[in-house]
Amino acid sequence: MARPVFRKMGAAETAAPRIAHLDQDRPLVDAARRDPARFEALYRRYVAPVYSFAYYELGDHHAAEDATARTFLAALANLHRFEERAQPADGAGASTFKVWLFRVARNVIANERRTARRHPAAILDDATAAIVADPLDVEGDAVRRDEASSAWRAVGRLPGDRRRALVLRFVDELSTAEIAGVMGRSEGAVRVLLHRALRTVARDLDVPRAARRPPAREDRSR
Amino acid sequence: MTLLGRDVVEVDALVTDRYLDSLLVARELEAASPRATAGPALRTPPAGRPRELSGTRLDRGVRLASERLTRDLPRFHPSFRFEERLAVRLAEAAAAMRLPVAAGGEGSVRLVPFPAPELPAGFDPLAAEPDEGDAATFSRPLLLGGAVAASALSIAGAAWVAWRRSRANSSPMARAARAAHAMRGRPA
Repeated sequence: MARPVFRKMGAAETAAPRIAHLDQDRPLVDAARRDPARFEALYRRYVAPVYSFAYYELGDHHAAEDATARTFLAALANLHRFEERAQPADGAGASTFKVWLFRVARNVIANERRTARRHPAAILDDATAAIVADPLDVEGDAVRRDEASSAWRAVGRLPGDRRRALVLRFVDELSTAEIAGVMGRSEGAVRVLLHRALRTVARDLDVPRAARRPPAREDRSR
Repeated sequence: MTLLGRDVVEVDALVTDRYLDSLLVARELEAASPRATAGPALRTPPAGRPRELSGTRLDRGVRLASERLTRDLPRFHPSFRFEERLAVRLAEAAAAMRLPVAAGGEGSVRLVPFPAPELPAGFDPLAAEPDEGDAATFSRPLLLGGAVAASALSIAGAAWVAWRRSRANSSPMARAARAAHAMRGRPA
């Protein structure tokens, strides 16, 4: 039986008449809706950020792979339920599909964590070994690895919401508005969450004191 | 409460958020210009982006922690093998969805096997017709008995109607009418 889509769309139009289609993924989403095989383009674009998010949340390579697979399979199966809600204020780069996909990932990860009952901080240290090593700079490589490890440990010690917000902001490079959409909170709440998380990390890493020491290496680009 | 009527923490959070935005923009600019080095680019927000709101200062610890996390938190990529395997799974799922989508349906469709009737083992519906001797096993006694009884009742009914039509009416009124009709042609 057909759903009453006409009534629903009419109500949405009267509520937000200035809605604009600013989703940068819109052509890909439309193509995937017409032909599910075209979903691959969206998959290729977001598989690494989703995997990264899952890895930071779960702290385990296999669990992150499972969560990534479930996220994309669920996204493909439920693509018809996705509604674009980008507003003009969101800017030209707004991507509500990205927010929707990360919401799916967040739900999948929460379910995965309930099942596995793992704590990320216990396993996060292993991941620093995966940082690409520079064979010509052994000393700098060790320093980089040590700093990454301490930064990761500081993030891993944060409460769940603060850690999640920091990872989405610094690793997946989502805007505050996008993080608010993913976490189901207001932008103001996310701003305060990020600010408090950064203050906790600063205390944990003791960065003001560390900043007074001469840096071991100025250029840390790889 | 501050001049803006907000809590101090909210104003500080707003300043931090603007600074984080500038960090992200700096990273994008750095990615766009490969000659720029990571360190100075991350430490210097691009021109035109306010680093601090008027009357407020960004907390030094927050600024340094932000730079540290921007620089040190690694991004991970799944293995090539996993990525390709999942791509194949998605392609298979997409192929299964393609037919319902083409038909204008909504939602996911699960393929359910058609329920097979309970047949004896080895039964082949496309095999040759059964032999004559096998037909005797398909007897229908109730149906045949019903047809015989219905035919007998029909014949008996037809016979009774014929008998009733051939038999003369013996009522007193009928006898009087017949007598009057017979006397009509006689001389008085």
